[in-house]
Amino acid sequence: MTPTLREKAESIAKEFEDLEPRERLELLLEFAEKLAPLPAEYQAERDAGTNRVHECQTPVFLWARVEDGRVQVFADVAPEAPTVKGFVSLLAEIFSGAQPDEVIAFEPNLVNRLGLADALGMVRMRGLTAVAYHIRQKVAQAISG
Amino acid sequence: MAKDYAHPETLVTTAWVEEHRDDPNVRIVESDEDVLLYEMGHVPGAVKIDWHTDLQDQLIRDYIDKDRFAELCASKGIANDTTVVFYGDKNNWWACYAFWVFKLYGHADCRIMNGGRKLWESEGRPTTRDPEPEYPRTNYVAQEPDRTIRAFRDEVLKHQSKNKPLIDVRSPQEFTGELLHMPDYPQEGALRGGHIPGAASVPWARAVNDDGTFKSRRDLEKIYVKEVGLKRRSPVIAYCRIGERSSHTWFVLQYLLGFPKVKNYDGSWTEWGNVVGMPIEKGTSTQPVG
Repeated sequence: MTPTLREKAESIAKEFEDLEPRERLELLLEFAEKLAPLPAEYQAERDAGTNRVHECQTPVFLWARVEDGRVQVFADVAPEAPTVKGFVSLLAEIFSGAQPDEVIAFEPNLVNRLGLADALGMVRMRGLTAVAYHIRQKVAQAISG
Repeated sequence: MAKDYAHPETLVTTAWVEEHRDDPNVRIVESDEDVLLYEMGHVPGAVKIDWHTDLQDQLIRDYIDKDRFAELCASKGIANDTTVVFYGDKNNWWACYAFWVFKLYGHADCRIMNGGRKLWESEGRPTTRDPEPEYPRTNYVAQEPDRTIRAFRDEVLKHQSKNKPLIDVRSPQEFTGELLHMPDYPQEGALRGGHIPGAASVPWARAVNDDGTFKSRRDLEKIYVKEVGLKRRSPVIAYCRIGERSSHTWFVLQYLLGFPKVKNYDGSWTEWGNVVGMPIEKGTSTQPVG
């Protein structure tokens, strides 16, 4: 059975919680490296600068769509911003495959559960929380549109 | 040419760093905005110092104190006589920030690798994903903070009221008050937009070339002396949003152009734009600087 969004989020949060702070950064880097390349159909929009997350310090581009009742999230993040890329990849993994209602109901405070506050510092944590809110909003738009 | 700068010894080339990376008297330090960049690959032998988690106090808005700075250096194998070479992402923005903090606590021999990560990578020089190397601990002794390079709010207010030169290194939109933060950066809390009255707007990145290296002395003088009208011996205060971009400009003025009295106001706009009753100007600057 497909795990629910909450189960996936809990499992990833636990994975982070069980690690030493330094290892948490390594895990985040692994997420950065496994973010799927942006599907060709979205590349023109990215190159035109649309779908950019404006709250975010590095160029982050996000798309969300619903197919067969399941959410899919696609993203593109500059390689020179691995922290943001890792976080976006982590969120894309959690949200992809979820039911739209689960995404809307999800409270994006997950960022505070990853035990990354010490490794990243407060300023960065704020920026990452903004990304989480943005993905939720994108999904909401995809459903209503 | 590097030799034309006022203090050419503070800039080293990527080739110099590659030659000296195993030199026990040299410690290479990577300081980036992105906390994971070091893990993705760094100059072999380099240690990592994070501007936020290592150099800032996590409770009070301030830098780490003298004792913690000494502990940081000791733990990274930096002795008082070590040559410390900083490099990083974003045109050495954070490398200059770390350089400034090292100067604040009196470290004698600090240098910047001209071109930073960008040039090192584009030249195809070696990088490694090895864990941060451990060096033998030192008995580092930090000096009292050097107040001649750090400006505080009341001093900036006095400086401003006497029409002394201020350089605002933020983006033009932040300067005019159209934006409260860098374009595309998260909103980081200032209640009012604009700039300190009389400040000249010189975005920090104007000091660098496309390849990440610093512009020549002549080109820098064109900007800061001819265009802005700074006089070499005038006391200058640079500021930005939290004192990071302005440490880059501080480095340029003090070490590349040789201005002797330059301070970084690290409180910057996130302090000034939030304090009750501070004078603020919007739009373009009305006063000549000099």
